[in-house]
Amino acid sequence: MEIFLQALASAMTPMAIASIGLGALIGLIFGSIPGLTFTVALALALPITFSMDPVPAIGLLLGTYIGGMTGGSVSAILLGIPGTPSAAATVLDGHPMTKQGNASIALGTAVIVSVFGGVFSLIVMIVSVDLVSRVAISFGPAEIFALVLFGLSTICGLCGGSLIKGLISGALGLMIMTIGIDTIDGVQRMTFGSVNMMQGVNLLVAMIGLFAVPFIIEAFAVKTSMPEKSQRISRVKAELPSIGLLGRNLWLMIKCSVMGTGIGAIPGTGGAIASFLAYDHAKRFSKKPESFGKGNIEGVVAPETANNAVTGGTLIPLLSLGIPGDPATAIVLAGLMIHGITPGPALFMNHAGEVYGMYVAVVLAYLWVLGLQLMGIRLFVHVLKIPRELLAVAVLVLCAIGAFSIRNSVFDIYAMGAIGVAAYVLVSFRVPITPIILGMVLGPTLENEFRTAMMLSMGDPEIFYSSPTVLIFFSLALLVIGLQAVSEFKAKKQPKNEVKADA
Amino acid sequence: MTKIKTLRRATTGLLAAAAMSFAGTAQAEFPDRPIEMTILFGGTANSIAQLLTDLMSQEMSQPIVPVSRTGGGGAVGYSYVVNTPADGYNIVWNSNSINTGNHMGRIDFNYEAFTPIARVSTEIPALAVNASTGWEDLSDMVEAVQASGDVLRVGISGRGSFTHLTSAALFDALGIGEQVAYIAYGDGRAPVELLAERIDAAIQWPGQFASYVEAGELNVLAVTGDTRVNVLPDVATAMEQGYDVNISMWRGLAAPAGTPDDVVAALQAAAEAAVMSDTFQEASGNIGFTPAFLPAAEFGALIAEDDAFYGALLTELGMAQ
Repeated sequence: MEIFLQALASAMTPMAIASIGLGALIGLIFGSIPGLTFTVALALALPITFSMDPVPAIGLLLGTYIGGMTGGSVSAILLGIPGTPSAAATVLDGHPMTKQGNASIALGTAVIVSVFGGVFSLIVMIVSVDLVSRVAISFGPAEIFALVLFGLSTICGLCGGSLIKGLISGALGLMIMTIGIDTIDGVQRMTFGSVNMMQGVNLLVAMIGLFAVPFIIEAFAVKTSMPEKSQRISRVKAELPSIGLLGRNLWLMIKCSVMGTGIGAIPGTGGAIASFLAYDHAKRFSKKPESFGKGNIEGVVAPETANNAVTGGTLIPLLSLGIPGDPATAIVLAGLMIHGITPGPALFMNHAGEVYGMYVAVVLAYLWVLGLQLMGIRLFVHVLKIPRELLAVAVLVLCAIGAFSIRNSVFDIYAMGAIGVAAYVLVSFRVPITPIILGMVLGPTLENEFRTAMMLSMGDPEIFYSSPTVLIFFSLALLVIGLQAVSEFKAKKQPKNEVKADA
Repeated sequence: MTKIKTLRRATTGLLAAAAMSFAGTAQAEFPDRPIEMTILFGGTANSIAQLLTDLMSQEMSQPIVPVSRTGGGGAVGYSYVVNTPADGYNIVWNSNSINTGNHMGRIDFNYEAFTPIARVSTEIPALAVNASTGWEDLSDMVEAVQASGDVLRVGISGRGSFTHLTSAALFDALGIGEQVAYIAYGDGRAPVELLAERIDAAIQWPGQFASYVEAGELNVLAVTGDTRVNVLPDVATAMEQGYDVNISMWRGLAAPAGTPDDVVAALQAAAEAAVMSDTFQEASGNIGFTPAFLPAAEFGALIAEDDAFYGALLTELGMAQ
C-alpha cells in the first residue's frame, strides 16, 4: 500500500500529468490523421524521454500509445481510412454511419467504449498479471497458429456478397507478405534481386495504400455535382451517444473487453486480430446481423472495445515476460530499458513503485484521451464540410509523407501507390478490401508459427492434434467456415434480389 | 560605362574570392551542415544509436541526425549509404551484418566499400537453459547431452541470424554440434519458450535473460565473448570454461570508402568522447551492451578478421552465396 501511495505521488506530479497529456495528444493527432501512424509518433517521442524521470518518460510513451490506439478510429469513421491496422474493422460500420449523418455518435461511442475496454483490461492486468502470463506461456507455436487460423476464419464474415471474392482478397493479403527476407530461413523470396523488395511490403504502408488511395481516386472519379452532398453538410452535428445506447451494449462491451485482454496477453498477436474477432462475434450474435456493414453501432462498439482492451493485455507479456506484442510496444520497451526498468519476472520485485506508477499513468492517459477526444469531436466533424476533392488532395500529401516516414524509404511511396491502384481495381470488381489487411496482419504469424511448430515436432503433424487448446481453436474455425458455407448455399437458392441489396 | 564595367568586374571578383574563401573555411571545418546517421535495425541497435547521436551532437558544431532505414537484414541501409558522396555527411551505424549480409548474398558489396570510423559497443550473447535441468555450466550440459544421446533443441531467431551463427560455433566447440536441432522463431521469444520447456537451450542477449535468472527460473551457462557481461557478472565466459569460442556482436560507425582522413578523425573524436561520457556508460548497463571504443585503424582490422570468420562459418552451414 505504501508503495502504491508513493507511486501515486510520483505519477500525480504536474510534470507527469502534463507529459501523459502531451503523449495522448501526440498519439491522437498521429493516430487520427490518415497516413500518419502512432508507431512513427512513438519513435519520435522516444529520444525526448531519455532526459526525463522514469515515470513521466514512460507516461509520455504510454500516453502516445493509448492516444494513437484510440485516435485510429477517427479517420476510420470519418473517411473510411483506418489510422492503425487495429481500426480496420471499425471502418466496416463506422464509415457507413458517417454517410448516414451519424458521424459524431459513432465517434463518441468509439472513444467511450475504447476507454471502457482499456480500463477494463488494465484492471484485469493488475489483478491477474501473474496468472495470465503463466497461461500465455502455455501458448506455443502450435497454439498460436491455431488461434491465428481462427482469426483468419473471420474473413468469412467480412466478405459481403461473395465468399469466393472474400477468399481471393484474403489470399492476396497472405501472398503480399511473403515478399522479402524470410525470417525463419533467412532466404530471399519474390525480391527479384532488388534491395528495395528485400525489405518487403510494410503493413502500414499497405494499409495506407489500400484504404486511402481508393478514397482519393473516387473523390476525383465520381461526379461532384450531387445535390445530396450539400444535404449531408447541413446534417453534420456534434451529438454524443446516449447513456441508453451504451447501456444496451454493456454486455457486448464486457465480452469484447475479455476477448481483447486475452488476445493481447498472448505474445505475437495484437490489436488487429482482436478487433476482427470481436467484430465477427458481434455480428454472429446480433439480433440483426444483416444490418452489419451498413452502419450498425454494434459494429463500432465491438472492435473499438477489443482493440483498446489489447493495450492492457499487451502490458502483461511486456512487463512480466519482456516480450513486446507489436512494433509500438517494442518502442515502449526500449523506453523502459533506457530508464533501467528491465521487464521480466523480477520486475515486480525490483521496481514495484514504477510498475504501480505505470498503472496510474495508463488510467491518466485514458482520462486525457476521453477528455481530448470528446472535445475534439466538435472539431473533427467539420472535416466533413470540406469538399471531397480538397480533402483528397490533403489526404494524398499526408499519405505520401506517412508512407515515407515509416522507414524513410521512397520505395514505400511507390509501393503505397501501386497497392492503392490495385485496391481501386479490386473495389470496382466488388472484391472486399478488409480481408487483404487481415491476411497481411496474420499471414507472417500464421506461416512462421506453423513452420516453428513443425521444427519443434521434427516434422510430425501430431503437434497440431495433441493439444486441447489447438483442437478448440481448430473446431471454432471449422464452425465459422461451416456456418458461412451453409448460409451462402441458402442465399444462392433464393432469388437474385439479395445480391442487389448488398450493393 | 567602362568604369561601371570595371567596378562590376571587381565586385564579381571580390564576391567570388569571398565565396571561395568561405568555401575554403567550410571545407577545413567539418561539419558545416547536419550529418545523417543511418540506422539499420530496431531494438537495442536503435536505442544505442539514438543515445549516441544525441551525445555526439554535443561534441560537434552540427547535429547528427539518426535516420532509420531498416529492412533486408541491413541491406537497405547499407545500400543507401554506399551510394552517397564520401564526404562524411552520411554515416552508417554498422555491425557484423556487413560481413554476414555480403556472404549471404543480400548486398553485392563487402566491408571494403566503407571506411571504418570507430567501434562503439559490443553485445555478448549468452546461452540459457531452464533451471529445472539443473545444469550450471557448459560441461554439465555437454555431459548430460552426450549421456542421453537425445537431440538438444536450441532456439534461434532465424537461420543465418547472429544467434544462429553463435550457436553453431559454440556447439561445434562443445563437440555436440551433431546432436543439435535448431528451432527458428523469427523473433526474440526464446525466454518464454525456455520457460515452457518447448526448447532446451537458447542463445540470446543477456538483458533478455537477466530478470529470469534473478527469479531463479533460467540458468545462464556461459557468455560467448572474451569478457563477462555486467548484467550477469557471475556467468563465466566459454573460454574460461575451457571451450575455444569468442564471438560478440560489435557496433560502430562507418562512412562510404574514400572519405577524407581528417573527416574520419573528427567523427572518431566525437564518437570517443560520446562513448567515454558518463551518460553512455550508465545507459550501457540498462540497455545491456558494453561500451567498447576502438579507433578507426584497429576497427578496420577487426572487421576484416571477422569477415574471414563469418565467411567460413556460413560456408560450413551451407548458407554462403
